[in-house]
Amino acid sequence: MIYSLLILSSPFSGDCSRTAAAFARCAIARGHTVHRVFFLDTGTLASAANSVSAQDEDTALQSWAELADLHSVELAICITSALKHGMFDQTEADRNKCPFSTMDPAFTMSGLGQLVDAYASSDRLITFGG
Amino acid sequence: MMTAVTKKTVLIVLRHSPYGSGLAKAALDTALASAAFEQSFDLLFMGDGVLQLHPGQDSRVKGFKNLGRQLASLPLYEINHVYVETQALARYNIDVSKSPVHIQQLNGSEIRQLMTCYDHLMGF
Amino acid sequence: MILHTLNAAPSSSAFADCLKTIAEGDAVLLMGDGVYAAIAQTEASRVLEATKATLYVLADDAMTAGVLNVSAAVSSIDIAGFVALTETFPRQQAWY
Repeated sequence: MIYSLLILSSPFSGDCSRTAAAFARCAIARGHTVHRVFFLDTGTLASAANSVSAQDEDTALQSWAELADLHSVELAICITSALKHGMFDQTEADRNKCPFSTMDPAFTMSGLGQLVDAYASSDRLITFGG
Repeated sequence: MMTAVTKKTVLIVLRHSPYGSGLAKAALDTALASAAFEQSFDLLFMGDGVLQLHPGQDSRVKGFKNLGRQLASLPLYEINHVYVETQALARYNIDVSKSPVHIQQLNGSEIRQLMTCYDHLMGF
Repeated sequence: MILHTLNAAPSSSAFADCLKTIAEGDAVLLMGDGVYAAIAQTEASRVLEATKATLYVLADDAMTAGVLNVSAAVSSIDIAGFVALTETFPRQQAWY
């Protein structure tokens, strides 16, 4: 089946963002297609390239980046939420006169139209919040 | 950008207060994007989500967007009716008689019936 | 049929709202702070059992929280079990 995921959970409160990444990995392992993962509201913080965690802690960013690297899953970030939370890709960094991108390159800037496309073209939409 | 050919029906479930988090705004933006792409969807306000319908919201003092007024603009996007949990309206004594959109009130079991009528549920 | 994923403690409005919509034949997956509703002999686990939905708890989340005395009515599953539930149930509602 074709899945899309909507991530509203912040990677910094609770563990839901990482659970979602594990869900996506497992869905692929079971033969499903993950059409798109769409990050909205505080969910967009998963792309924070400059977040530093305690050395012995796994981060949501690692889980998501692995998913993009190994399985070419599209990690789409809502641009409005991203800019609000200080997440810039290189294009937005240039436009907002920020000297560097603050978003991990595994993620791509996107609009809500891509969330609509995701649910319209998927058999399953799984939402992760809280 | 829009590649989807298959349409799916969606129920957007709004359960959080308007200004306590970004969720209400995220849900409303999702609804407007869905309307722009001519999708088949409905809105359900339940629990604290009914606080978004509280009349008289005025956020000018805070300098951010008035979510109540944005909801009032729904008919411009041809969103003419919404579903609302009856018990939650009563809990907060919210008067929706002057609502700019038509409100259909539902109790818990009716909400459950409604939820099974859609391909996807989006919980905000 | 609905798969309810509950990621909030039993005292939350998310839990209360979720309860209003659960029907027999549904599945409820407790995750994150939702795992506390799986604790045996609590009001929360009792009201969930009364819904006659099938109850699950995400094993890693329960272990993290130290919820070991899981109610007998709640099955412990891993992430593959979660994916399997979404294969069976056509729609999911996230409560949080």
